[in-house]
Amino acid sequence: MDVVVQLQRQLTDHTASLFHEGFLNEQFNQLQQLQDESNPDFVVEVVSLFFEDSERLLNELAKALEQQAVDYKKVDAHVHQLKGSSSSIGAQRVQAVCIPFRNFCEEQNIEGCLKCLQQVKHEYSLVKNKLETLFKLEQQLIAAGGSFPTL
Amino acid sequence: MQAFAVMLLPTALIPCWYSMISRVERQVNLNSQDFHSKLHYEIENTEKFLHPINSSATNLAGVLKLSLNGTKLSFSMIETKVAPLLFQAWSTIPYLSQISYTGLEGLFFSYYTGQNQTLAVYSNSSYNSRSSAPNVKKNLSCYIQHVNHETGELYGNSIECPSLNLVSKRWFQEALNSPNGYASLETGWNNSQDLILLSSARINGEGVISLGFSAQLLTTRFTSIDRQGGSLYLATKDGKVLIEELKNTHMVLAGNMVSVQLMKPNGEKKVLGNVSCIIKDGSPRASTLNIQGTEYMFYCSSLDIVGVQSVYVLAFPQKGLVSLVRKNWIVALALLIVIITSMVVSILSFAYIFVRAAKREMHLCAALIKQMEATQQAERKSMNKSLAFASASHDVRASLAGLTGLIEMCYEEANPGSELETNLRQMDTCAKDLLGLLNSILDTSKIEAGKMQLEEEEFDLAQLLEDVVDLYHPVGIKKGVDVVLDPYDGSAIKFSQVKGDRGKLKQILCNLLSNAVKFTCEGHVTVRTWVRKPSLQNSIIASSHNGLMKYLQCLFHKSNEAYNDLEAMNAAQQDPNAMEFVFEVDDTGNGIPKEKHISVFENYVQVKETALGQGGTGLGLGIVQSLVRLMHGDISIVDKEIGEKGTCFRFNVILSTCDNVSCNNTKAEDLEMVDGSHIPELTLSTPSPGLWLRTSSSKLTVHSTPSPKVTTSHVVLLIQNNERRRTSQRFMENLSIKVSVAKQWEHLPSTLQKIKHKENHSCHNSLGKSDLSSPSGYLSSSASNNSSGVEKDVPLSSMDGSNYMLSVFKRTTPKFASSFILIVIDACAGPFLELCRIVAEFKKGLHNATCKVVWLEKPTMRNINFKHIEEDLVDPNDVVISKPFHGSRLYQVVRLLPEFGGTLQGNSSKLKEEIKFQAEKVPKDPSSSRSKPRSPPSNGILTKEQEIQEIGNSNDEKPLSGKKLLVADDNVLLRKLTVAGLLKLGAIAETCVNGQEALDLVCKGLSDQRKLGASNILPYDYVLMDCEMPMMNGYEATKQIRKMEKSYGVHIPIIALTAHTSGGEAKVAIEAGMDVHLGKPLKKEHLLEAIRYIDTK
Repeated sequence: MDVVVQLQRQLTDHTASLFHEGFLNEQFNQLQQLQDESNPDFVVEVVSLFFEDSERLLNELAKALEQQAVDYKKVDAHVHQLKGSSSSIGAQRVQAVCIPFRNFCEEQNIEGCLKCLQQVKHEYSLVKNKLETLFKLEQQLIAAGGSFPTL
Repeated sequence: MQAFAVMLLPTALIPCWYSMISRVERQVNLNSQDFHSKLHYEIENTEKFLHPINSSATNLAGVLKLSLNGTKLSFSMIETKVAPLLFQAWSTIPYLSQISYTGLEGLFFSYYTGQNQTLAVYSNSSYNSRSSAPNVKKNLSCYIQHVNHETGELYGNSIECPSLNLVSKRWFQEALNSPNGYASLETGWNNSQDLILLSSARINGEGVISLGFSAQLLTTRFTSIDRQGGSLYLATKDGKVLIEELKNTHMVLAGNMVSVQLMKPNGEKKVLGNVSCIIKDGSPRASTLNIQGTEYMFYCSSLDIVGVQSVYVLAFPQKGLVSLVRKNWIVALALLIVIITSMVVSILSFAYIFVRAAKREMHLCAALIKQMEATQQAERKSMNKSLAFASASHDVRASLAGLTGLIEMCYEEANPGSELETNLRQMDTCAKDLLGLLNSILDTSKIEAGKMQLEEEEFDLAQLLEDVVDLYHPVGIKKGVDVVLDPYDGSAIKFSQVKGDRGKLKQILCNLLSNAVKFTCEGHVTVRTWVRKPSLQNSIIASSHNGLMKYLQCLFHKSNEAYNDLEAMNAAQQDPNAMEFVFEVDDTGNGIPKEKHISVFENYVQVKETALGQGGTGLGLGIVQSLVRLMHGDISIVDKEIGEKGTCFRFNVILSTCDNVSCNNTKAEDLEMVDGSHIPELTLSTPSPGLWLRTSSSKLTVHSTPSPKVTTSHVVLLIQNNERRRTSQRFMENLSIKVSVAKQWEHLPSTLQKIKHKENHSCHNSLGKSDLSSPSGYLSSSASNNSSGVEKDVPLSSMDGSNYMLSVFKRTTPKFASSFILIVIDACAGPFLELCRIVAEFKKGLHNATCKVVWLEKPTMRNINFKHIEEDLVDPNDVVISKPFHGSRLYQVVRLLPEFGGTLQGNSSKLKEEIKFQAEKVPKDPSSSRSKPRSPPSNGILTKEQEIQEIGNSNDEKPLSGKKLLVADDNVLLRKLTVAGLLKLGAIAETCVNGQEALDLVCKGLSDQRKLGASNILPYDYVLMDCEMPMMNGYEATKQIRKMEKSYGVHIPIIALTAHTSGGEAKVAIEAGMDVHLGKPLKKEHLLEAIRYIDTK
């Protein structure tokens, strides 16, 4: 029981810190609310979709920015998608970096774009780690037979 | 550059000219010199010619010496030997004037010319020169004898004369001593003492032979030379002057110089200069002297005349060719300089002017460009503004409509009479006012943006006019202003079925009428309409009463607009059905100052003096004008007669009349229902223009000439308002109805009395011939009183008018022989009870005629309370009309007459009911329907409200349960999220990944529905469409869906989803046909709100 309680507390703390540090926002809550019995792994599915999507986009961005003649339209479209998907799951900080990224795109500022790409990658890995930790905790909690704490 | 070229020419020409001139001068100089030297030669030649004479004396001496042989000569010897020789010489040597032999001893013999005779002088006595001293004077005798000039013999008496004493003379001594003879100038020995040139030679030292030549004869040789104006001066070396031709001058020879002296009148002498006579290079040197203002050239040279050394001087005045050339040269130079300077000056000034003009033009050009840019900018700005206005219309109107709807909702819930209700009512009024204002502003902007389009539809123009007039009647009545619809010539009733933009025409009329009512405090507002064939001429006159000039002006000023109008007009003319409808709204209000007649039609312009305290934006007339022009017409203010109050707006529009059968039939049916089907005649006489247009001619001729036996009906009008009375009367008179008019209720009894008298009289006569003249005379006088100044406006003849009327109202042959009297009484014209009594009394006394009374009641004051009136006073068959007496009411009253299908006693109750019913139909408050807000009918709103309530209240888990949605998104993540969200709300969601798929799904859904026969059911209740998708984006997909669904007659709500938060995307989405635009990520609340918005829309 202690393990469950501890895990529950850990989970709560972790989630709180995620919100507190601005990694996630209200949208993630809504995501969690959409999860129910008929759709038990909804959040995980969505978030893993987000990971896939984001990784694909980041790779393509990196590739696009390495080119001699950078296709800013393409870059912009990618960033736009990334912004859309990150905002959909509430990955606030990723979304935030996307805004200056797009601005640099419009200015066709390669240095700015590269800098932003680094930042986005950084933020993405952070949020990915955090979320993975969160899911791990959740799995542990379920494995331990506990239920989700009410948020 | 040109200037330089022009300058260069003279600079090149001047040296050329100069050289030419100098060449000429040189030539002339040369010529003159040539001439001078020729003159010299001439003189020298003359000298040479005389030269042989020089030696004649010596030769003669030689001959004599030989013949004498050194013998001593005695006088007898001289006479025999010398004298013949001398005579020979005398007669052979030319120019000789005397010849002599003088011996040393005093012997002397000589021939000479004197008094044109040859004379001989001789001295025969001698003295011994050696014995007598030279200083002792011997008196030698001397004799003169005539000579026979052929033989030389002396004859006649010898005359003694004083001795000549020649021996002592100098030339004698010189000749004696010189071996070669001697020549000198001496005086002759004849009496005249002529100068002679004496050439003498010695003979053996004992005598001297002398030959005397006449100086005068010799000098004529010189003077006879043609000297061309030159003067000659000849003198011997020892200073004796032979010739002196120059006047007032005197020349003195001094060595080799000749000094020229001027002789002044007082005898003084002035030396003018010296002329050198040294000859250089074979020709004499010229020297120039000025004598009395004239330049003279002097040439000096020596000359030998008969051995006498002498000097001659030639003087030429300088005014010859040379001086002429020189003078001309100077004048020409001066002229040339003047020409060149003037040329230079003119070139410079021209260049200056040119430069200045160019500068100015450049300035102007720059200013023009600037101005044009500014204008373009301003136009662009204005255009943008207008566009923004027009596009804003949708949103603003929608929200305002929402407001009014909500207020209405609340209004119904509020307790009647509570403060809340009052406030709500006020809010409602305010909101509606606001909507009205907004609509007018939006209309303006729409017109400015060129987005106003005509919406053509078929409608009943007469009905429209009546509606509009009825709408403003109560408003007018409240102010004490009667709003009258003048049937005029009835043409508008005939062509009442027209095709055009009903809404806009109504808007125009409403606007003008509301203005008229607003600015009129007393009197009346009249609306009249007539129809005419659209001709260019007409429309020109209608569009500008100032005539063609203004039209032309308009053509030039706004050529485009006018041209378009013209084109439209031409187009309208080609349509055979097109008719020109002229409308007039005439009021008796404040009027508009004449100078403002044009500016009132400009936007935002109000006539200050009259608009004070009346409010308004000043847009109304501007909109009206734009709308009228849109309908190919024009609006203007008609000039009123001096003394008449108010304003008269006149506008014309082109509408196409439709007189097709289907239209007629429906119309007839409609009217049948209204009029009551049990009167067949009435049904037939419905105002269906087409019917009568086709069959009119024959029927008209039949019906318009009623047989004299039939007594016509008589109408008595007692209407308070002048205008209404006048129009009604005229209308009826046009229908050949006898009309009597009473202006005031006090006149009613007398009028009725007259009629009664006549009726009874005619009855007694038992002839249908009623005295037509007397009432008509009365009528005509009253009519002319009333209608002064209005008749002039009638464009069609009254005959035409009656034709229109008759074509509308079918005359039927009355069934009853008795005459029919219709009394139309304005119930407010006097005390009602009194009126009732008068009418009742009239009815009682009527024997052979039926009488019917129509009471006109004001809608606002319901003062006819029949219940309170005694039964016998009021006939239950009396008709009460509580609506303004014009339009359809007027026609129905006319139809009460037997000629027009009325029955005698009758169904007045029916009519009454019907009229009442019509009255009900007219909206209560004209202001509300004037600015028709686009809100759905109230019952529609209610159902929607219920729906909204449902949605709002059922705040449980599944507000969208049972709804089917299509989600189109290329992003898996977002799709999943959206679907999850929708499932949560209870909806069923289908997904697709791009626009093409969405389109296909919708298409399939629609066709499936159609197969099932339920095409109004939407395949999807809502479509959530992502905007940016591969293959086909959301906008394109939406456009396609909108295009496709049109054929099914449905509208699938499409909600746009974008991650863009800027307004631009939202606008694009709305323009693409999407209903709502939502930002990503999708929020439940937003979605629900959007769905609610769509539902309410």
